[in-house]
Amino acid sequence: MAEKHKVSTSYEDNWLKLQDWIVEKMKSCDGALIPMDSENIKQRQEPELDYQFFLESASRTMIRFKRPERLIRMIVKILDEQVKVTHTAMLMYKKEKDSFILLDSKGAEGTKIPVGFIRMTFDNPLIRLFHEQHNFKISETGAIGYKELLDLLQRNEDVKKDEELVELMELSIKQMELLKATICVPVYYKKGLRGVFVLGKKLSNVKFSRQEIGFFTTLANDVAMALSNAELIQDLQEKIFEVHNLYEREHRIFIHTSISLAAAIDARDPYTHGHTERVTRYALAIAEELEDLPEANMYKNFRETLHISGLLHDVGKIGVPDSILNKKGQLTGDEYEKVKEHSVTGAAILYPIRELGDIAREVRAHHERFDGNGYPDGLKGETIPFIARIIAVADTFDAITSDRPYRQKKMAEVAIQIIKDNSGTQFDPIVVSGFLLAHRKGKLSNSV
Amino acid sequence: MMRLLVVDDEADICDFVKKFFKERDFEVEIAYDGKEAVSRIEARKPHIVLLDIRMPVMDGFETLKAIQRIDNNIRVIMVTAVEDVELAEETKSRGAAEYITKPLLLEQLERTVLTIAEQIKMAAEW
Repeated sequence: MAEKHKVSTSYEDNWLKLQDWIVEKMKSCDGALIPMDSENIKQRQEPELDYQFFLESASRTMIRFKRPERLIRMIVKILDEQVKVTHTAMLMYKKEKDSFILLDSKGAEGTKIPVGFIRMTFDNPLIRLFHEQHNFKISETGAIGYKELLDLLQRNEDVKKDEELVELMELSIKQMELLKATICVPVYYKKGLRGVFVLGKKLSNVKFSRQEIGFFTTLANDVAMALSNAELIQDLQEKIFEVHNLYEREHRIFIHTSISLAAAIDARDPYTHGHTERVTRYALAIAEELEDLPEANMYKNFRETLHISGLLHDVGKIGVPDSILNKKGQLTGDEYEKVKEHSVTGAAILYPIRELGDIAREVRAHHERFDGNGYPDGLKGETIPFIARIIAVADTFDAITSDRPYRQKKMAEVAIQIIKDNSGTQFDPIVVSGFLLAHRKGKLSNSV
Repeated sequence: MMRLLVVDDEADICDFVKKFFKERDFEVEIAYDGKEAVSRIEARKPHIVLLDIRMPVMDGFETLKAIQRIDNNIRVIMVTAVEDVELAEETKSRGAAEYITKPLLLEQLERTVLTIAEQIKMAAEW
């Protein structure tokens, strides 16, 4: 969550810079907006393009930001500065109040509608006119002009036939008078009304041109787009958070299931009690030293795969008879062959579980030797999965340092010497070097 | 002419409401806090006071009490944030004529003030 805020701060910084830049640009293009009157077309075309161009490109950039309010404030500010109207305001729908609140407002003293002072609900005729999309019956762009409403009510016979519309229009006229609005431009998102741009009269008293109204509609669409994007980002963040939580939870359940399974295996073999837990611990300690190797990076989740592989590496011992597991003294050749089956059995148990596919591979290979003389597949060197190579070292280390029915416990130093001696033949030298590092750091102590 | 006093520490609100009711044929005065309101009322009594509850110097409660001491016939409409509805109810029990919550519905503001103005006119004619 903290991460999220950090990102948005830098966005806002960029935004502020962009805003300054736009305002500077706007200041430098003197007379960016000259009052529209029909006699003056040639003169005004170019500068007028300027302010519209800047505002449009700015709003395109801002659509990507997480806080659409910023875009709205900028639009209101620039419209106020450049279009030269008595007042500009933006009503936005606020879910928690279930009404439209004035988000930003500019204008001369007394004309400016104070922010946060008024609200409009869905009962409001003007809001209804837009929300129920009656406005499109009387306006191509959806924008509603005060004068046009009056004219339509007086002259248009078609409109007069629609009583509901007439009533709504009459009441909307009253609302526009309350807001002293000359033009209202709706902002739609997902078919619902989300906001209304309110524009007062031009200071020059000249009518808004079609082109200007078209431009306001474009801006309204940009706001809608910004709202939609902000919502998408919000949704996405919530989804990521949700998935992350779900994953954490599943992961915990998974590890605990594996631990239970490992404990069940250990319980069958009194002489190797705690073996699984120790091998996992040693393997994790060795892996810590090797985490930066490309071999480790090849795993989607190296540590987790190793952790579970460690816990489940001897799961196949379920198929080895008690008489063999509990036998004191040397095993016969047949008995030894039976024990050797456990890596294949383990992999066969895990393989059908989709989530454990990778782990089955590691379990199958944990008795392979680096020189290719191991079992069950006689894999050699780098063809042995990396985690299996690590478990092989951890497994051997525990076997030598623990009491087994067939031999006395040896000292860790002896075990380390044996592992060193077999580096490059039985064991992967890289893993051995990781093992030695872990030992030097005291991470391989027998006690938990 | 009906006289209205708007008491609010936010200048934007005062200006807006002043213009709004001027256009509806009111004579409107502004005060930015309770103390200023009291001295304006002492100078010239309004018929109606629009009084914000949360203000520095002297809050809405105190100001209401002070207004009532000057003239109990002045009708006071409290203006309050939505969160303060209980507070507003309380002011009604202490003699405020009505209350409006912010953000407010403009037509509600208009209706409330106009209705009270009508009542005052009718009482005067009677």
